[in-house]
Amino acid sequence: MTSSQTLLHAQQAFMAQVLDDDQPVPDNWSERQAAGMDVYRQNYRSAVIDAVTSTYEQTRQWVGEDRFQRAAIHHVIAHPPSGWTIDDAGAGFAETCQQLFADDPAVAELAWLEWAMLGASRAAEATPLSMEDFGQATAQFGDEDWASMTIEFLPGVAARPLQYDLHAMWQALGTGLQQRPETTLQETRGCIVWREVERPTFMMVDADMVLALQSALAAMPYGEICLQLAGDNPDEQTLHDAAMRAGAMLGQWLQESLIVSLKV
Amino acid sequence: MTSIPPFGGFGLGLRKTHYADFLESHVEVDFVEVISENYMIDGGKALRVLEDVRARHPVIIHGVSMSIGSAQGLDADYLDRLKQLEHRIDPLWVSDHLCWTRTSAHNSHDLLPLPLSHEALDVVCDNIDRAQSHLGRPMLFENPSSYVTFPEDELTEWAFLSEMTRRTGCYLLLDVNNIYVSAQNHGFSADDYLTGLPLDRVRQIHLAGHTPRGERGDFIIDTHDRAVCDDVWDLYGQARAMIAQPVATMIERDDKIPPLPELLAELDQARSLASSAMAGLSA
Repeated sequence: MTSSQTLLHAQQAFMAQVLDDDQPVPDNWSERQAAGMDVYRQNYRSAVIDAVTSTYEQTRQWVGEDRFQRAAIHHVIAHPPSGWTIDDAGAGFAETCQQLFADDPAVAELAWLEWAMLGASRAAEATPLSMEDFGQATAQFGDEDWASMTIEFLPGVAARPLQYDLHAMWQALGTGLQQRPETTLQETRGCIVWREVERPTFMMVDADMVLALQSALAAMPYGEICLQLAGDNPDEQTLHDAAMRAGAMLGQWLQESLIVSLKV
Repeated sequence: MTSIPPFGGFGLGLRKTHYADFLESHVEVDFVEVISENYMIDGGKALRVLEDVRARHPVIIHGVSMSIGSAQGLDADYLDRLKQLEHRIDPLWVSDHLCWTRTSAHNSHDLLPLPLSHEALDVVCDNIDRAQSHLGRPMLFENPSSYVTFPEDELTEWAFLSEMTRRTGCYLLLDVNNIYVSAQNHGFSADDYLTGLPLDRVRQIHLAGHTPRGERGDFIIDTHDRAVCDDVWDLYGQARAMIAQPVATMIERDDKIPPLPELLAELDQARSLASSAMAGLSA
């Protein structure tokens, strides 16, 4: 074994002891050294739980301090961080919430929203396409150009379907949860998250828009998005309606300054 | 590798709580220090604030996640991101800690201790060479506070730091509170520590508060959550009197962060102590 391999193994063992209170310290350590290890264990635990807490302030408020702390501890034990940024300690917390708050599935959607807003807050700068830019870019488009067009969105834009009314939850949280709102939506809707200048924001949209946006984010050509909206075996009228609907969505994305460029 | 000329002055760590103070008024500091990782992002408000502050003050970027002591080497993505930030900000210098934070699988997000062995010294020096070469500039490394010593230790911490600077050409960020904390925790002499260091390599001094013995067991904990204590001020005065060249001194506060005037008052205390110490040096 080379010398750096010896250090490598020692560091892997030390890390295992920091992450897991039940991992024994080396046999040749004194009681004081073992007590020193406890300081590192506490420091680690409090740093990563503080990071999770700071990312999920609204989720914490929604579920209450005790339940949130238990969930955060569970999360960091099950998913110890691996990346160099401590913000990533909160990655996957929405899935943890889905498991732990099965009695209140809205929690997982709220946690997803906060994670998406964190992503939007630190995403790269980009200049959105204005209506005028869009008009110029598409002025010479033929049918094939429209069909093959893909859309580049602002960095950090995220979308997902929703079963719960995040807008009502967010508003209630903004007033200190004086009154808990009805959260269950009558039908599936969707949520779009982005950064407006410096401030992460979100809006609730119809389910078909979120599906279309997810497809567009995955670089699906505009023509295929129209076909997706039309569903299986569409007749001519349905195709026409789908194209109109896609056009309205495109207009709304432009209006909200979500689009950066078009590619054909 | 170029050298880092001495820079004398007094500064503070830029924390989110004080963004408005720094953006809306003139804060009497000679520089600010930021935690690198908080700004190693693609865009957004934090970077915009940093650029605005940079237009008013020199900035030092101080990292906590380089993991210079990792036996598995450095993270290439981390180095690329740090270099991007360095290009964007043009800092006075870039610093990190003599510690390790990661294995290939996990990151502790805490500054973990190294055995003070020749083997660890080789690893640290190789990693510093790589980091400095990647950044194209020498770095500063901070002496850590620690709660564990290892049976494998072969060197004192000051001998380790001396050899590290000699072999790599890096500079030192002397954390006076960390010397105090580790000296108390491990029973070595802070005087021996200061005397044993190549003090001509010091470019910056950190001052911070700590949690005294008894509040969290039988250790002093480096918490940065309160004012600098009298013993650390004394040690600062002593260190400052031993360092001939100008150095940048700053107060670190990372938890229970008070209003800015309170930190500026502490910084005035550092100015006053440094002035007395320098008068002693020139006498």
